[in-house]
Amino acid sequence: MEAAASAAQPEPRAKARLVYPGLTIPFVLLILCFAAWGAAANLTDVLVGVFRTIFDMSNAQAALVQFAYYGAYFTLAIPAAMINRRFGYKVGVLTGLGLASIGGLLFIPASEILVYGVFLIALFVLAAGLSILETSANPFVIAMGPEESATQRLNLAQAFNPVGANIGVLLGAVLILPQITPETAKVIMSPAELDQSQEDDLALVLGPYLGIAFVLILIWLLIAFRKMSTPAEASQEEEGETRSGALGRLWRNRHYRYGVAAQFFNVAAQVCAWTFTILYAQDIVGVPAEDSGWYLQASLILFLVARFVMTWLLGIFRPSRLLLVMASLGVGLCLVAMFSLNMVGLIAVVCISLSLSLMFPTIYGLALQGLGEDTKFGAAGLVMAILGGAIMPLIQGKIMDEAGAAFAFVVPGICLALVAAYALFDLRTRRDGGGEPVAEGAH
Amino acid sequence: MTGGHVSGRLVALGGAVALSLGAAACGGGEDEITLGLITKQEQNPFFVTMREVAEDTAGDNDVNLLTAAGKSDVDNASQVAALADMTREGAKGIMIVPANSRAIVPAIERARDAGVIVVALDTPTQPPSAVEALYATNNRRAGNLIGRYAKAKAEEDAVEPRIAMLDLAPGISIGELRHNGFLTGFGIQDGDPEIVGSAYAEGNEDKARAAMERLLDEDPGINIVYTINEPTAFGAIDALEDAGRDEDDVILISVDGSCDAIKDAVRPGKIDATSQQYPENMAREGLEAVAGAVRGGPSPSGFLDTGVELITSDPVEGVESEDEAFGVRNCWGD
Repeated sequence: MEAAASAAQPEPRAKARLVYPGLTIPFVLLILCFAAWGAAANLTDVLVGVFRTIFDMSNAQAALVQFAYYGAYFTLAIPAAMINRRFGYKVGVLTGLGLASIGGLLFIPASEILVYGVFLIALFVLAAGLSILETSANPFVIAMGPEESATQRLNLAQAFNPVGANIGVLLGAVLILPQITPETAKVIMSPAELDQSQEDDLALVLGPYLGIAFVLILIWLLIAFRKMSTPAEASQEEEGETRSGALGRLWRNRHYRYGVAAQFFNVAAQVCAWTFTILYAQDIVGVPAEDSGWYLQASLILFLVARFVMTWLLGIFRPSRLLLVMASLGVGLCLVAMFSLNMVGLIAVVCISLSLSLMFPTIYGLALQGLGEDTKFGAAGLVMAILGGAIMPLIQGKIMDEAGAAFAFVVPGICLALVAAYALFDLRTRRDGGGEPVAEGAH
Repeated sequence: MTGGHVSGRLVALGGAVALSLGAAACGGGEDEITLGLITKQEQNPFFVTMREVAEDTAGDNDVNLLTAAGKSDVDNASQVAALADMTREGAKGIMIVPANSRAIVPAIERARDAGVIVVALDTPTQPPSAVEALYATNNRRAGNLIGRYAKAKAEEDAVEPRIAMLDLAPGISIGELRHNGFLTGFGIQDGDPEIVGSAYAEGNEDKARAAMERLLDEDPGINIVYTINEPTAFGAIDALEDAGRDEDDVILISVDGSCDAIKDAVRPGKIDATSQQYPENMAREGLEAVAGAVRGGPSPSGFLDTGVELITSDPVEGVESEDEAFGVRNCWGD
């Protein structure tokens, strides 16, 4: 999960240095952080189906994985900002890395105790650490070099997030899903054999998370013992001060208020679609567990490629118009998924990523447009819309338990319809203050 | 017994070799052994699944697997030849799905006399002692599950049972086990007034359709239809639809758990419930046991239940079942 970056950065002038002297290696280390949290976030998408099988639980119960993960992100967003303000970005990054490493290591006792709740705690701690890491790393990257190259620097770092996301799914598709004990084999197992298979399968889950924890610890050590003060850090902190009355002004701004809601539903649609892609493949089409991860992989690759295409299209079409078209496409794809209970439906599920690809940065830009000095505070609200990723998968899981995996895609369908409604609102409503769209963060 | 068409093609005995590449790459811990798998035919997805899983399992167990299939469900001659060929090619153990439970026995005895461990999959031999062990569905339980379901569903819907039974054929043990299991599950016996008609459909869709049409002519009020397998169920569904019967007014139950039936009939509710069997368990458990015995482990013996689960999209209270999503995940065929 990427967070929104800060507001607009000036275009870099020619030959502007990417990072200050001596900060090249720290910058590379931070880039690794961006990849690490991408990997961890999308590995959880695989985990929902895996835990459902291992613990023989309902879809709603399995979706608690996302509740723990995104709930932690939401809960830690403000504390993370406070850590940064009080102790600086390096401490923030180290705190995040440390906490996330502990979360990864907590998978060891979890896989010994064999209790689902302990895994959720481990995931919560991991995600809490990554939330702090992300909140610190974004402004830290900006502060690591001249203001002129800030956008370039941030874009470069954030480009590694989807790379990590794909690695996360790949880890699940290669190391976990093909090795999980088949359900048919469990049908004839004795209670002792079932316990043993559960232990074996949870050991499979442990491996990738230990790997992530190991990488995070390594990065922690490399950052902890390196001097990383940045000249720009002080000014960044000052800019973070909240202007009095900002909350009220933002609340009265309908474009912003509805934008936060649209972002909530966008993140919800994204997490729902990706969380339930594997389950749709297995439950509706009958794709074997060992092959099902590849459909999520395809979805993420499509997301990555489409994002570049959308960036180009955004230069041609009005953002809210393109948002309306893509959100409507997403609704259509959800309808296909709901009513074509076959490979066509699965392809539609995969293609939802196409419509999602432009949404986070576009909504971000539209919602913050014309906010002036309230932009930074407003951006925090948009980041907290990540709560949608915690809540809506639970609802989809519940509907899936009652009405099946296909009909449950009504949830992302409604979410995307509400995003489309926001785009329509933006198209049809004049802005009081005018102003240009804000350069987006990324997601 | 599995549903499926009887047509088949020539025996495909050969070197379907499934080496354990992973084990070989790591230096392997065990010497490679040769085993054989003989199924009834290659047209029925049940046996295709069985072969594919056997090949995968062979790869994981450092086994060179020879495979063969008959031309049809009743092709005993091809199976006799395959047994001799595999024995000659050095197979130390053979798994066979007998096409003819009695006629295959002399060929099995010759293989065992040559020191080959032989186990049956899916279908028993007559006598059962002709092989070391049988890995198969508990067919009585399969019938019992759908019998209990039909009883509970009839009570839930408050219908007076008027049962039609589409059976396999006289004297075939699988058909009798499922039939008797259904009666026990429903709490009735042959000859009870709840059973208003029965016919042998031989597991064939066309014959099942014709039989169902006949039974509906005799008693248009039939509201529960027992079918021996899913091709039979498809034939019955066609006849019921042609007769203008609403699927909600008839409780139709079956046995098999193929992907076609789960997706196209159980999920939309045309088949109310089916007992799903697991050919992959037969293949995996059978191969691992035979490989273990050849390598000096305990020899398999007796009947080994490969599992059966009731699959329905309309569960009833008091009868344990899995939903259609479970059925789709674990069905056999495409």
